[in-house]
Amino acid sequence: MKQKTDVLQGTLALMVLKTLDVLGPLHGYGIARRIEQISGDLLAVNQGTLYPVLLKLEQEGAIASEWGASENNRRARFYRLTRNGRKQLQVETKDWEQTAAIIGRFFDAKAEDLS
Amino acid sequence: MKALRRFLSRLGHFVTRRRDDERLRQEIEEHIAMQTAENVRAGLTPIESRRQAMLKFGGVEAMKQDYRAERDLLFVENLLGDLRNAGRSISRMPGLAAVIIISLAIGIGVNTTIFSWIQMILFQPMPAVTGASNFLLVEPRSDTAGYPGASWLEYRDLQTHVPALRDIVASQMMPFNVGRPGQTERTHGQLVSGNFFSALGLKPAVGRFIRPEEAERPGTESVVVISYDYWQTRFRGAPEAIGQNLRVNDRELIVVGVAPKDFQGTTPPLKFELWVPATMTPALLGGTRDLEDRTSRGFSLIGMLRAGATRQEAQSELSTTMAQLARDYPEASAGFGGEILSFREAPRGPQRLLISGLAILQGVMLLLLLAVCGNTANLMLARGSTRQREMAVRVALGAGRWRIVSLVLSENMLLAVLGAGLGAAFAVWGTTALRIAPMIGAFPILFPTKVDQFTLAFAIVLGVACGLIFSAAPAVHLARLDPQDALRSGSNTSQRSRGRKVLMGVEVGLAMVVLIAAALFLQSFHSARQTDPRFRPEGVLLAAYDLSGRNPDDASEREFAARLLERLRSLPDVEAAAIATNVPVDLHGIPRRPFTVEGRVRAEPGQDRAISNTVTPGYFNVMGIPLLEGNDFADMRDKAAPAQAIVNEEFVRRYLNRADAIGRRLQTRSQSFAIVGVARDSAYDALGEPPQPAMYFSYRDRPAEQGEIHLRTRSGSESALTAEARDVLRDLDPMLALYDVRTFSQHIERNLYLRRIPARMFVVLGPLLLGLAAIGIYAVVSYAVARRTREIGVRLAFGATSGRVVLQIIRENLAAITRGTAVGWLLALVISFHVVPNGPVNFPVFLGVPAILLSVATLACWIPARRASRIDPVEALRHE
Repeated sequence: MKQKTDVLQGTLALMVLKTLDVLGPLHGYGIARRIEQISGDLLAVNQGTLYPVLLKLEQEGAIASEWGASENNRRARFYRLTRNGRKQLQVETKDWEQTAAIIGRFFDAKAEDLS
Repeated sequence: MKALRRFLSRLGHFVTRRRDDERLRQEIEEHIAMQTAENVRAGLTPIESRRQAMLKFGGVEAMKQDYRAERDLLFVENLLGDLRNAGRSISRMPGLAAVIIISLAIGIGVNTTIFSWIQMILFQPMPAVTGASNFLLVEPRSDTAGYPGASWLEYRDLQTHVPALRDIVASQMMPFNVGRPGQTERTHGQLVSGNFFSALGLKPAVGRFIRPEEAERPGTESVVVISYDYWQTRFRGAPEAIGQNLRVNDRELIVVGVAPKDFQGTTPPLKFELWVPATMTPALLGGTRDLEDRTSRGFSLIGMLRAGATRQEAQSELSTTMAQLARDYPEASAGFGGEILSFREAPRGPQRLLISGLAILQGVMLLLLLAVCGNTANLMLARGSTRQREMAVRVALGAGRWRIVSLVLSENMLLAVLGAGLGAAFAVWGTTALRIAPMIGAFPILFPTKVDQFTLAFAIVLGVACGLIFSAAPAVHLARLDPQDALRSGSNTSQRSRGRKVLMGVEVGLAMVVLIAAALFLQSFHSARQTDPRFRPEGVLLAAYDLSGRNPDDASEREFAARLLERLRSLPDVEAAAIATNVPVDLHGIPRRPFTVEGRVRAEPGQDRAISNTVTPGYFNVMGIPLLEGNDFADMRDKAAPAQAIVNEEFVRRYLNRADAIGRRLQTRSQSFAIVGVARDSAYDALGEPPQPAMYFSYRDRPAEQGEIHLRTRSGSESALTAEARDVLRDLDPMLALYDVRTFSQHIERNLYLRRIPARMFVVLGPLLLGLAAIGIYAVVSYAVARRTREIGVRLAFGATSGRVVLQIIRENLAAITRGTAVGWLLALVISFHVVPNGPVNFPVFLGVPAILLSVATLACWIPARRASRIDPVEALRHE
């Protein structure tokens, strides 16, 4: 059986920010579902690990939270992206793309390219 | 930025203690409810739906912990917990804690006290003057005359020609006779320039200061500023003092103001009471022309750098100006340059003398503190080891290494900080006790030491350093603990006890060094008291007079001394009387003069120097110093005899090869003297010193303004002569005061004063250190034998006698102690050679101290060893 990918905390935070950016204010369960859907079940984390990340982001001021009513009228805590968070997301997206591009180039490189 | 925001949020949380565990609980509940609903929609049974939802969520408790770690200032919470824990565990060992805290407090207190002195000299050279260490000394200097000070006219030139310094201030120390004729009192003051107080940035306590224009024209403004203490004692602090007259050197001066509290002049620790405009000099000193004479140097100059100027600029401007002055006034200033120096580089004055002695003392005391730390480390290590089980349980339950270290650290730090606090309290008491020093010599001295924020910071730094030092060993030891090993009963590893033994050896070695230093010091102090000075101080009264306020010349000085002696000798109770410029065994020492003597050719370059004292005929008789050859000096009024000198035995031995000295020519400062006698050697600088070459000159040939009267009494109670001597001087000149009256024995005692302070310190600290070392050894040995109870039991069961067991334990521990003692002994020997090169090794001390230390150490080993050997073997084998 293929091992499911470990998710680094930083990556999880980035996913949370992107999710909130795309979908707008969302509660913890919604965020967890969205991350699962996008990653196509390749990435199954314990959903509980999400909450410390949310707290950390809130303390950093990237997101804010307040109580609200969910779609089926349950009380839920909604998280939304702050202006700081949006900035942070832009920066980190750029960083991530750069890193990915560099790593990608390394994987594409063949021996004869370097000679 | 992000980190800061997180920290603030956590801090807010920590402070408000807002517990939003409730919020998390609700969130989790909602999350699981939503997931369950989803699963139900997907067709699972409600129970299975909830189970799946919870599985998917993961471990709630682990997550909660992560969440809390994110949220709280765990570090601070742990620290507070540790401190509470430390407080509890210290209160469980009150005896041990008391020993540790008190020994630390003494070590830190003594160091802080000494530091407050050093700090005063280095950083606060002038009390009550803010930024005093920013002032620079402006010192004219020549190769031949050294640093003689500046003349008044030179000061005026430098004031305008060294723009890098703003407001150069001039002052000259001057003893005044204050009071009505016949009731004068010698009071020290400073003659100052008009900008003196304003440049120092002082505010008067009452009244006003000297105005700049009052120090412009000579002798017009008869004003005086008095010190705060003088105001309090002579005027009872009454505001009416302002405007009153003060009779100084037979002239009425108007008191215009009072200097701020604690201000004692510009050359501490000297303490001045009066400040008079320098332009009053001719009026106060019998019409002297000193202010117009460029060769009359006596003013000390200080100044502060103008904003933006550098010391180099000031130095180069000073050099240029001094060079110009040397061209303009070759007769007075040729060969003179100038130097800009900081206070701590002061080329003269009492500060210089103090600082090196204090530095040595501080070094010794820091060693002592280190020994205290070693001792504490050992005690804590022994105690920490009995807690191995506790720590092992903690580690087994998941406490991190750092948590264990911080637990130990917080306990030790608490002890260290308590010790430092108590030590600072000791220092406060110590500095006030030392402040109350008597007048030393002819000068009023006050050490303005106090415990301020720097000294307190020093005490705290010492405390923290101590805490870290003595925490290190137990903390490392416990953190490396293997819980399985430690929980297994009766385990013992030799490596740990070796660490303790090394520490014990180091501590004993340090104790050795300090004890030997203490013993040497005390011995020299005591032997100094008991050695024969080779003159007879008993029955001699000393008193000083000073003609400087009368502006005398050579002839009047000679005549005054001659008349004074005639009058004194006519007193019925006076057996003999003489006058000298210097008194032996003086704190300030006796000057040495370069000379050449007929029959001596110096092989190496440089000059011969010998102690020089100028005395009247009859001096040797009063002092009880026999003349071995030749005669005493010619009579004071003899005008025919050539200039004469008398030398001592050591002089003849060293410079004349024991040849006949009488009749040879002796030259000093281009004056020639005929040697007319040889006096026996006696003590000059200190009792018990090795013989030093000395020359005596006659008052007849070299009269002086000042003189120390020596009176030998017939009846034996020399102090009874005081009143009569005062009357004699008053009859000769009503404006003169007899000052510094003391018996010769008092003189010697007083000059031992500065040596007595460290001597007392050593008397207290020596036994204390010995006690500490003994406690340390006792702790280590008793701990070690406690751990070996089972082994000892086995040996006793197999028939070993208790005597053999005791012997073996002592032998094992004494090996480490002996090594430490040997190293300490060698170190002490090296230091003693370094401090007193070529001095004889003090065998009683170097043999006695190790003997005492080793016997105490043996005793400290024997007590626990004996207790262990008396154990019942059956008990011991049952011992866990």
